[in-house]
Amino acid sequence: MSQSAPSQIRLLGLGNLMRTDDAVGMLTARMLTDSGRLPSTIEVIEGGTLGLDLLGQLDGTSHLLVLDAVDFGAAPGTQKSFQGDELARLPTSKSVHLLGLSDLVNAMLLMGAPPMEIILLGVQPESTDWGTALTPAVEAAQSGLIEAALEQIKRWTKEISSATTETVPVLAIP
Amino acid sequence: MARIVIDPVTRIEGHLRIEVEVEGNKVNDAWSSGTMFRGIEKILRGRDPREAWIWAQRICGVCTTVHALASVRAVEDALGIEVPENATLIRNIIAGTQNVQDHIIHFYHLHALDWVDVTLALKADPAKTSQIAQSISDWPKSSTTYFKAVQDRVKALVSSGQLSLFSSGDWGHPAYKLPPEVNLLAVAHYIEALEVQREFIRVQAVLGGKNPHPQTFLVGGMATSMDGNEPDAVINPERITLLNQLVKNAQTFVQQVYVPDVMAIAGFYKEWFEIGVGIGNYMSYGDFPTTNIHDPAGFMVPRGIILGRDLANVHPVDPGQIAEYVTHSWYTYEEGDQAGKPPAQGETSPKYTGPRPPYEFLNTDEKYSWVKSPRYSGMAMEVGPLARTLVAYASGKQQVKAAVDGALAQLKLPATALFSTMGRIAARALEAQILVGQLSEWVAKLDDNMAHGDLKVHNGDKWNPDSWPKSCQGFGLEEAPRGSLGHWVEIEDKKIVNYQAVVPSTWNAGPRDGKGQRGAYESALQGTPIADPNRPLEVLRTVHSFDPCLACAVHVVQADGTAYGRKALVL
Repeated sequence: MSQSAPSQIRLLGLGNLMRTDDAVGMLTARMLTDSGRLPSTIEVIEGGTLGLDLLGQLDGTSHLLVLDAVDFGAAPGTQKSFQGDELARLPTSKSVHLLGLSDLVNAMLLMGAPPMEIILLGVQPESTDWGTALTPAVEAAQSGLIEAALEQIKRWTKEISSATTETVPVLAIP
Repeated sequence: MARIVIDPVTRIEGHLRIEVEVEGNKVNDAWSSGTMFRGIEKILRGRDPREAWIWAQRICGVCTTVHALASVRAVEDALGIEVPENATLIRNIIAGTQNVQDHIIHFYHLHALDWVDVTLALKADPAKTSQIAQSISDWPKSSTTYFKAVQDRVKALVSSGQLSLFSSGDWGHPAYKLPPEVNLLAVAHYIEALEVQREFIRVQAVLGGKNPHPQTFLVGGMATSMDGNEPDAVINPERITLLNQLVKNAQTFVQQVYVPDVMAIAGFYKEWFEIGVGIGNYMSYGDFPTTNIHDPAGFMVPRGIILGRDLANVHPVDPGQIAEYVTHSWYTYEEGDQAGKPPAQGETSPKYTGPRPPYEFLNTDEKYSWVKSPRYSGMAMEVGPLARTLVAYASGKQQVKAAVDGALAQLKLPATALFSTMGRIAARALEAQILVGQLSEWVAKLDDNMAHGDLKVHNGDKWNPDSWPKSCQGFGLEEAPRGSLGHWVEIEDKKIVNYQAVVPSTWNAGPRDGKGQRGAYESALQGTPIADPNRPLEVLRTVHSFDPCLACAVHVVQADGTAYGRKALVL
């Protein structure tokens, strides 16, 4: 893993397309790509249910925005953002081929990758039974998820550009 | 007598449940249950046989390419199509890479933690680990500083309160026997192997367009263009250089890390060369043609059967002797559930009669698995790297004999030690070493053909369905990472009318048949010692030694970290 990679924001959609609301992250990532509203520098990864196979695609990421179904016991379609320790409390894997998000990130850290900033935008699913269409409540949540994703990307982009300009030593002596 | 249930068995592919009966700290009997239905056979009916492979390879997201290959072979067999030599070579490289990569992942990421205690690695002296590493291998990443850095990274993970990748281990279990320093060595290589497997599988992306699920298979050959003078061709001199580099790196890792690690760990667990013996019948369809698929004599991995652990005789394989039973599986047969049906006339009629969840135990006197029970001439068989290695060894294949005898001599063990849990692990490592060496020869041959202007990768003579007979049948056999794989297809009026896949884990994970004969896992678990019935690590060791693969799964993230149903899977 390269240590000196420049900032790279990536958007990762996760989910099983055959499991109803579980697909919300994947489907919303696609909608974002198709919307044309994403800056061209943002790479979108349709992660599906790939685990370990995502290692290569995540290499070099500095900021990772994840879209996925998260069961946090709220009303279906409710959106919630997770970061830091909240992410660490998500369940761990039962197999390397079905790596949990936090496991994937931990694997990258073990491999010596620099830490990245991760935000998971989760949507409460109503059903994860067999099916290729979202339930109405979760489908309705997609537009909010898109706005939240664009907002976060805008915030990060701003942070990165100001951090870059601040590399010039302009600190005043106290 | 206590009954222990492990469900789901973790660090495998798919959904497997094991129930064991324990008496006096030993497994007295065992039942293996696949807890998920695979219906791809039904999905394939009515489809164009030329596209069957695209669907069939979606049986699994791990051994992805293997079902594509078995499928095109089955359709080519039915339609009487011969593929060009280059296509055979490309298929061998793809399948061989898949095998080696899978073996590396299995050992380090799915199985090692049954033998390696990560928490003990934190107590190791990195300087001593460095000495051990340098005494068993020339692998350059072996300094004290290196192992110290690895230890620090693992410490950081553990002190965050998250064992994460390492959370499913039975840390502190009395069955762990490695000294802390060897544990650290293995953990370092676990992490290195993450990188190695990721790099090596680029071979699939080069030759298959993507990974998982390569896209370049084709009935009649491959859709992998070859041209020494064409920069846009999939295979050109630049790509040959890349393939050679990827293969060479993997080969170095297998020789200098994987095999020495297996030998070192096996040395601390010699009693496991007597545990997990199993059925004692071993089958290999053989694979990796050097001439063509109809010439098993030219296969790099030989075809054959060994019965009753008798290495003096290798019996031929007659695919007509394969039949599947559903007496203990959740299916029905028109002829009644005692019948055995050859896959060519196979039937997939699911009928779940098991208990409604939640339940404590399966009724193992009745039907108890979604996996059928395949039998060869009425006999249960073990398939996989050990079966292949034994068939090759008993057939007198020099390269295999030398590797096996060398390993046995190093461990001071007789050949009968191979019939065991640790024997499966050792055979897998030795197979990876031989196969990865062979890959570069296939790449060289491809390069040579290209240099001589032989660019043919596809035989399109029978691409047009109007050239097909009104009805035909065929089958495709293959040695996938986990063992003997077969697809059977029946074509009528240009469409698939029946399709059956008998996969390696059907042979190994299947339940009892109508005569009460146990499947391979069930048989191998007999007599397994159990130190602590609450943590049946020893059962996992034997089950994992087969590299179980039971297809793919549901996932949903749950915020409080608890299981969703029984399947706590994320992503």
